[in-house]
Amino acid sequence: MDNTTKSKTHASESDDAPRSESRRGFLKIAAATGAVVSMSRTRAFANGDIGYHSQELPDDKLIDMYRTALKIRWHERTQADEMLSNPDYRGYNHFYAGQEAVATGICAALRNDGPFDQIDLAYSSHRPSGHAIAKGVDIPKMCAENDFRSTGLNGGYAAEMHLSDPDVGFIGADGMIGPSMPIATGSAFAFRARGSDQVAVVFGGDGTYATPHFHSALNNAKLLDLPFIYVLENNLYHQYAHYSYSCPHKDIANAAAAYGIPSRVVDGQDVFQVYNAAKEAVDRARAGDGPSFIEAKTYRYYNHWGAPGATAGELGAFGYDPLAITSFRPEREVRAWMQRDPIDIARKTLVDWGVLDAAGADAIETEVKAEIAEAFAWAAQQPFCQPEDGLKNVFADGAVPARQFG
Amino acid sequence: MAQKSWMYSVLEAVQWEMQNDPRMIWIFELTPPVASNPGKPVINLETEFGRKRVVNTGIDENWMASCCLGASLAGSPAATYIPYQGALMPFQVIQNVAGKLRHMTGGRAQMPVVWIIEMTGQTPGFAGQHSCYEEDSYYAHVPGVRTVIPSTPYDAKGMMHAALRSPDPVVYLYPAGLRTLVEDVPDEPYEVPLDKAAVRQEGNDLTIVSSGGGMPEVLKAAETLQGEGMSVEVVDLRVLKEMDTETLVNSVGKTKRLLTVDQSYYTLGPGAEVIARVATEVEGAKYKRVAFPDAPPPASPEMFVWMRPDAEKIAGAARELV
Repeated sequence: MDNTTKSKTHASESDDAPRSESRRGFLKIAAATGAVVSMSRTRAFANGDIGYHSQELPDDKLIDMYRTALKIRWHERTQADEMLSNPDYRGYNHFYAGQEAVATGICAALRNDGPFDQIDLAYSSHRPSGHAIAKGVDIPKMCAENDFRSTGLNGGYAAEMHLSDPDVGFIGADGMIGPSMPIATGSAFAFRARGSDQVAVVFGGDGTYATPHFHSALNNAKLLDLPFIYVLENNLYHQYAHYSYSCPHKDIANAAAAYGIPSRVVDGQDVFQVYNAAKEAVDRARAGDGPSFIEAKTYRYYNHWGAPGATAGELGAFGYDPLAITSFRPEREVRAWMQRDPIDIARKTLVDWGVLDAAGADAIETEVKAEIAEAFAWAAQQPFCQPEDGLKNVFADGAVPARQFG
Repeated sequence: MAQKSWMYSVLEAVQWEMQNDPRMIWIFELTPPVASNPGKPVINLETEFGRKRVVNTGIDENWMASCCLGASLAGSPAATYIPYQGALMPFQVIQNVAGKLRHMTGGRAQMPVVWIIEMTGQTPGFAGQHSCYEEDSYYAHVPGVRTVIPSTPYDAKGMMHAALRSPDPVVYLYPAGLRTLVEDVPDEPYEVPLDKAAVRQEGNDLTIVSSGGGMPEVLKAAETLQGEGMSVEVVDLRVLKEMDTETLVNSVGKTKRLLTVDQSYYTLGPGAEVIARVATEVEGAKYKRVAFPDAPPPASPEMFVWMRPDAEKIAGAARELV
């Protein structure tokens, strides 16, 4: 299967002309003659195609991507089961299941280890657990945080919607829709100002298109040629409304063209396709050639928030969500998307490529399930927070006075 | 007359105003203008008035607030429901345009606009950004905008009628924690004034002043204190701007003890304004303030519940004061 044909581009020729004037001219001739020409370390590709960068990755990196996607999947499933069947469990999530390939493919192209002034930064959305795991956040500590434990990633102050771990470049989740985008361009601005080759990535949903922040971020990122990547995860719904309520474009990536930003629409269910687009965007940013926009077509298996309509032990939510009063998803739509499951696609691709055999893939899944089960078990034994600590962390030092007793 | 929930009472008022003024519009995101109530027909503004007048938009509270202001300037009464996540996104257009426009235009701008702004901060576990109750202080500070905060379904309906008929822009704060309240609410339209506090309970030893989401816990505390033999007067502000100073002064002039209770932050919360107004008019009174500390609401229920003013803490402060 030629996966490259599934991606399309919205970059006009002038958008990325500055970098590739000569090569592009050459490729035009090559494409016109139907020639397949070997270029440096990779094959040539037709005008507008994304290079198939995933194929150049070593086996262990490819297997890591599969493992990461699986970790996200089993984290989501385990947490949903906890919410549905364990009355002592207090955590919640805006589940990411179904979208694993996006976070995994993007973060695989980023620098996630090393000193803080060298790693790439990721700004997450209100659906953060997948981004957090893909960026390398400690999973047991994240589980503890999601269950409001004092030894959690953020001491029980954050819970799911404000998870943050700067040590791995995970600047954090944002419960609001919009503000993170211009803020992420600020990090990109700092990288450019200090001559660093770091990259800032922001994840946002289809609902972000309607916000003023979307347009402000893209405009300023392009004006200043910032090393900034906008990853728009189009899972079709913002909260409970289909994105056609808030965006006139079928492909939201169309909007990037208006700001002169090269964009890609990718199959968000195929982690290797997502990686291809991410690699291209990261290379562009590191080379000083400015921002990129990636729209990943994807789908969430659960409802907007929590696990209404889901059944313990079963993947996905098909039942009624009382919060989705006027606009809720048809069950058949959910099931149709589950036919193209990102975990299955990653596994099948690696088996097809001979990177893994079925037994090896099964073994990885068994390991991951055990690792996630252990993370939840550890989290469940962590202490609750001290009430008085709520007065700390308001400023860098000290605590604010209690006022609730008069 | 029937037992009605908060949202049914509010939408009944909106429905009546929209039926009687075909110019009126309603904008929402995510929270459909739909309410049901036992024994009453379902209200659905979107289906009743159609998508030209009632629109479900994208997540852009700045536009929602601006659109309603523009509609009102064009002569269409307008209202929007801004969910708590976006409670302060429209702040700039309300503070620096709507609030100043009548004055800046020498009284020429007419703005029959109502921004219903949802407040949370009553539920443990919702963490920093989804627990905000602080917008009462911010909006109450803006001149030229009437900021109201009903605490019962009856007031919610009557103040909605009054707000929609007012030529002034109105920030109509809706404490979401009160959505489960039910009481007798008339079917016909009526107005509750946009400048009067309500004395919920009369007493002589102590005045407790609160508003919105603080009221249920204050009433609970007052009941406890009453049982202990304390005679407590309870004042529900209902209106933050313009605040009803007369009712406050009359009450504290009698009791000489004032306890204010805010669910929002301590600094510059409504209680600070209440005490300042009373202290300049009443001689020899004693004061105490209960409020949420000057800290963002933490996710952990252990921290949050301890920090949130509740009946027990309010009663404790009252005992120290009397």
